[in-house]
Amino acid sequence: MGYRVGVDVGGTFTDLICITPTGDVVLDKTPTTLENQSVGVMVGLGQLAEQFNLSREEFCSELDIFVHGTTTADNTMIEMNGAATGLLVTEGHRDEIEMRRVHKEKIWDPSYPAPTPIAKRRARIAIPERMDSTGSVLLSLDEEAVRVGTRRLRALGVESVAIMFLFSYVNPQHELRAAQIVREEFPDVAHISLSHDVMSRGPEFERVSTTLVNAYVAPRISSYIDQLKTSLLEAKYTGPLLIMQSTGGVMPPDYVAKRAVSLLGSGPTGGVMGSALAAQAADILDFVSVDMGGTSFDVCLVRGGRPEIKTDWNWRYRYYIGLPMVDVQSVGAGGGSIARVRQGALLVGPESAGSNPGPVCYQRGGIRPTVTDADAVLGYLPLTSFANGRMKLDVDGARAAIEREVAEPLKIDATEAAWGIERIVNSNMANETRRVLASHGADPRMLSMIAYGGNGAVHAWAIAQELGIKQVIIPKAAPAFSALGVLIADYVIDIVRAYVIPLAQIDLNRVESLIRDLHAEVDQEIAPLGLSSDDIDLGVYAQMCYPGQNFDMSVPLSSETKIEDATLIDLVERFHDQHEAERGFSFKAQAPILRGVRLAARGYTPKPDRLAEMGVVSDASKAQSGTRAAYFGDGFIDTPVYEGRQLGAGAKIAGPALIEEPFTVVVVPPGGNIVIDESGNYLLKLK
Amino acid sequence: MDVDLVELAKRRDRTSDNPSVDPVTAEVVRGALETVCFEMATYVSRTATTPILNQSNERNATILDARGRLAALSVGIPQFMLTSTLPVRFALDFLGPEEFREGDVFVANDPYHGGGHLPDYNVFAPIFADDHGTRRMVLIASIQCHHGDTGGGVPGGYNITASDLWGEGVRWPVIKVIDQGKERRDVLYALSANNRIPGYIGDLRAQIGAAQLAAQRLGVVLERYGATTVEESVDFMIDYAARRFREEVTSWPDGVYEADAYVDHDPLGNPDVHLHVKITVADDKIKIDYSGSDDRQELQAWSTFGNTRGYTVGQIAAMMDPEIPKNEGFFEQIELVVPPGCVLNPHPGKPVSAGTHHPGADVGEVIAVAMQHVLPDKAVPQTYKTGIPTIIVGDDPHTGLPFTDHSAEVYAGWCNAAKGMDAWGAQAASFGNLWKATAEINESLFPHIQWGRDYRIDSGGPGQWRGLCGSHYEKEVLVDAKVYTYVVGMKYPMPGICGGMPGAPNEMIIRYGSDDPYRVKHTADWVPVKAGDRIMYDYGGGGGWGDPLDREPQAVLDDVLDEYVSVERAEIDYGVVLTGLLDDLTLEIDEDATKKIRSERQARAGS
Repeated sequence: MGYRVGVDVGGTFTDLICITPTGDVVLDKTPTTLENQSVGVMVGLGQLAEQFNLSREEFCSELDIFVHGTTTADNTMIEMNGAATGLLVTEGHRDEIEMRRVHKEKIWDPSYPAPTPIAKRRARIAIPERMDSTGSVLLSLDEEAVRVGTRRLRALGVESVAIMFLFSYVNPQHELRAAQIVREEFPDVAHISLSHDVMSRGPEFERVSTTLVNAYVAPRISSYIDQLKTSLLEAKYTGPLLIMQSTGGVMPPDYVAKRAVSLLGSGPTGGVMGSALAAQAADILDFVSVDMGGTSFDVCLVRGGRPEIKTDWNWRYRYYIGLPMVDVQSVGAGGGSIARVRQGALLVGPESAGSNPGPVCYQRGGIRPTVTDADAVLGYLPLTSFANGRMKLDVDGARAAIEREVAEPLKIDATEAAWGIERIVNSNMANETRRVLASHGADPRMLSMIAYGGNGAVHAWAIAQELGIKQVIIPKAAPAFSALGVLIADYVIDIVRAYVIPLAQIDLNRVESLIRDLHAEVDQEIAPLGLSSDDIDLGVYAQMCYPGQNFDMSVPLSSETKIEDATLIDLVERFHDQHEAERGFSFKAQAPILRGVRLAARGYTPKPDRLAEMGVVSDASKAQSGTRAAYFGDGFIDTPVYEGRQLGAGAKIAGPALIEEPFTVVVVPPGGNIVIDESGNYLLKLK
Repeated sequence: MDVDLVELAKRRDRTSDNPSVDPVTAEVVRGALETVCFEMATYVSRTATTPILNQSNERNATILDARGRLAALSVGIPQFMLTSTLPVRFALDFLGPEEFREGDVFVANDPYHGGGHLPDYNVFAPIFADDHGTRRMVLIASIQCHHGDTGGGVPGGYNITASDLWGEGVRWPVIKVIDQGKERRDVLYALSANNRIPGYIGDLRAQIGAAQLAAQRLGVVLERYGATTVEESVDFMIDYAARRFREEVTSWPDGVYEADAYVDHDPLGNPDVHLHVKITVADDKIKIDYSGSDDRQELQAWSTFGNTRGYTVGQIAAMMDPEIPKNEGFFEQIELVVPPGCVLNPHPGKPVSAGTHHPGADVGEVIAVAMQHVLPDKAVPQTYKTGIPTIIVGDDPHTGLPFTDHSAEVYAGWCNAAKGMDAWGAQAASFGNLWKATAEINESLFPHIQWGRDYRIDSGGPGQWRGLCGSHYEKEVLVDAKVYTYVVGMKYPMPGICGGMPGAPNEMIIRYGSDDPYRVKHTADWVPVKAGDRIMYDYGGGGGWGDPLDREPQAVLDDVLDEYVSVERAEIDYGVVLTGLLDDLTLEIDEDATKKIRSERQARAGS
């Protein structure tokens, strides 16, 4: 077995993690190259190779697998520099994408601007055609209108075409025929997205938004993947390339290129998948993962070892994405969040100093006090060995800024002011976490927490205490945790075929043939992966709802294609029960509707034994490097400082304590107790 | 037996005489209370059983102190937020605090006891905490939701031709549904018997559950910080909002600003329902006086005081920094004068189902118009010209059951431009939490086909910044049915602001395109339609902002290319002359002709 590499591209750094043939875990970081992320990726591979005293080519030729999380799709949506996109759409429904089902993000702000259009109205062509809700044709496709419209899109300079016709997920014939015509009229079109392909369900606003985003980012993703493949080939890598999707699973480039929209928001999912593995090692199945970086705080609920998947109301970059996504919610709270006093009240964030100019103590020109400045003033951060010794922190500058901007207006001293900033940002993060849990009906007191990201280890204890969470896991690999998550993620394919019908009128032959189609499609995608059948899990589901509901529920079907009438009756019962369990009520008197059949396939990838490099010292006192005065709400306490690198499995430390890792500090409050487990997690118990 | 709503809304004393809480703790408590409000609202969405509650977001969660002062809220629709405090105050005054016991939950829906209109049900629960050895009420959690029915003569609560409130539905000024933790089965049964919708009681239970969840969560907050600290934090937050509000008003120019607005007619056809406002800004104080508004007693267009107050505050909030917390400190700063007996503060018993919207919503318009010249960049009416929803009833041949289609679909209308920004989307910003149905949802539920609802060209009010186009809505009914509705905004469309032009008016035609079309004059009182007939609604546009002659010619050309504006109207409305053809994308601005036509018109306007 050779090396395995996971690479996750973040906003500032590209993180790399490598599992060696002997099972060692090696981290590296290199600055992200935003314009073409593959440049930074290749630099990082070179750095890793150096760590093993290999040339990049030697290293790459010994690589077994290369797994990649990219933010190319997200960056395209942030910059809104995707392909010039046009839309062919059912006449009468040309403006759904602008009307957005009436949704506006800021109900108190009439001056909040419109999102940048992916396809301006002039590039949205109304096509006479119409199906009804059963897929019967009410108005046949006006082929001449498609031809004229395509020519117009060409004249407008469109590169990529989206097609969205009403009820195409029930009967795709018009979309398929229109795509043929587009290819005839526009042979060199860069990409065509068909709405029933991208999102095989209603309603139309959700589908047109998702399809437009897919058409907009797909050409960018394709060209990025081509660049990366070329670079890898030049470096003599010929093995498989896998890409992380927002479902938390990986798939090969050909698969994701067609479904470019499924890469949106995949960034934070790597960390969530990594946290699921770290938690599993500690025998924890129900937890909340929190990722606190410089500008944002990401929260995800994981139950039964599986992250919550959100299928509705996923908005990214002001567009609706109608695909299931790992439900990571993000708020503007991080080390860079700025503190200010307004009319006698202290507010922290959402405005952030980011990494540039950054906190005052970084001495990069920041003048407004931030959370990291408060952390420094309260003694949590190492002043001379910050960021693996690359940075010195100016605590006096931080204190002066807090004094001026917070302490004086509130007529308190600088320490109290720093503590106030701390309490408010921690309570903001705790409240956000509580909101995420509330939307899933979860009680924080029944959960553990996993904290990572540059600032997660510093603040985790306080957020957990605020929520009544008793156990916090801080993985040693926290700084490159997303890369680890990318590397260990499983293959995931999830396909739905629509079949909308009241259950009483169901045609079982049709269901069986749909299931056969789904199996055939999944087989085709999975075959090249070379998995053994033991490593593949298949789940077949009936997508069901009550009449009038906006969302589907997946009710497990047997994976056999044969369905008996008795199965059907059982299915109805199980739908009522599952609805009762998940939503808190059921309507036994109402006949549910079938909306489609879904096949979710998971191909398991090998998992490492250890998740981090560990030291060998099990008697923690031997790893103590000194003490530092730190503040926990009641005067500065002389707090022992430990070198995390030296600590091995079984080491125990009682709070108050500060454990310094190369890129972060684990803060243990008075009364807290920490122990290091076999796989390299800090387990923090709180009172 | 009716109460003085003006008295009910009056400023109430704070609970702590001399709050000594520190700002950090106050901020932490504020965050906790707002999170509980969010949890209440989320709980309703998760557990409600009918689409109106679990999908439309029409719900407001609030926390009040023991005197009925608003401490925190989570808002569905801004205009409806205030009708959630006055029913609680009525209950406090009527029953007395001693009738509020731990574990109680109350229900109220009556417009003349603080509510908005009858379908809006408030559910609230007192929250108790230990204070020096005794347990006392510290907070009240309240959740308000719009229900799909409330009894009365017409399903849905919109019996707009009823001659009094009793004809519109059942009134519940305040009733206790949970008595110290024990469900009052008799009361819940009576509630359920007075409602047509089987899911109503399930939705009410979702609200009760939300109030109980809040009681439990707030109990933890109170235990942690102590009753006194929480009360002082509430006062601190209210004081803070009041300071921010006054700071904002101080930045507005002192003066007296007046305006008029009209509703086309009431549902009976009485024309020109008149609204007048006089807004006095003096230093950090603002007085909003509706004296002079219509008081014809034969009208059928009445907005209760609580409703008027809600829409007033909704408009003022849209004109201020969005960050100011919306609590009692915000609301009590507005001195509101609404003479009893006028359309904005009717004598008890007047019907309200039409008036809640009109003249209720038009309050936002008259305020924005009055303030346009002193607050040009904030005068964006947060309102609508909806009349009431279009209700279609018939029998569905597939199910054999009767259906009621409230036409809760997406369409665009009445969204004004702001200074520096063309209007966009479908409705004004404050309705951004609505989540309306689509063709692919409703065609699966109701026997109809939605042939279209696209923007209609030239319907957005011209201006330096353009009002949003209204949309052309066409629905074919597939069975014989009857249509009930009320249409306004035909004579008085959305006004332009600061020299902008008004949006296009509404127009509705039932049996559109048939030999026997029915153009709605004011109401459609169960107008019959046959299978295959179409219902057409041209929704009105939003008003423009600023002189259209000041609009960048390139922006006008772009609007023509995007078919928001026609080539003809580009010249007529904007003075922009275009050459070439839209069809082959050869349109160009004729700079010389444009300059000439614009300067001629400006000279004419100046002389």
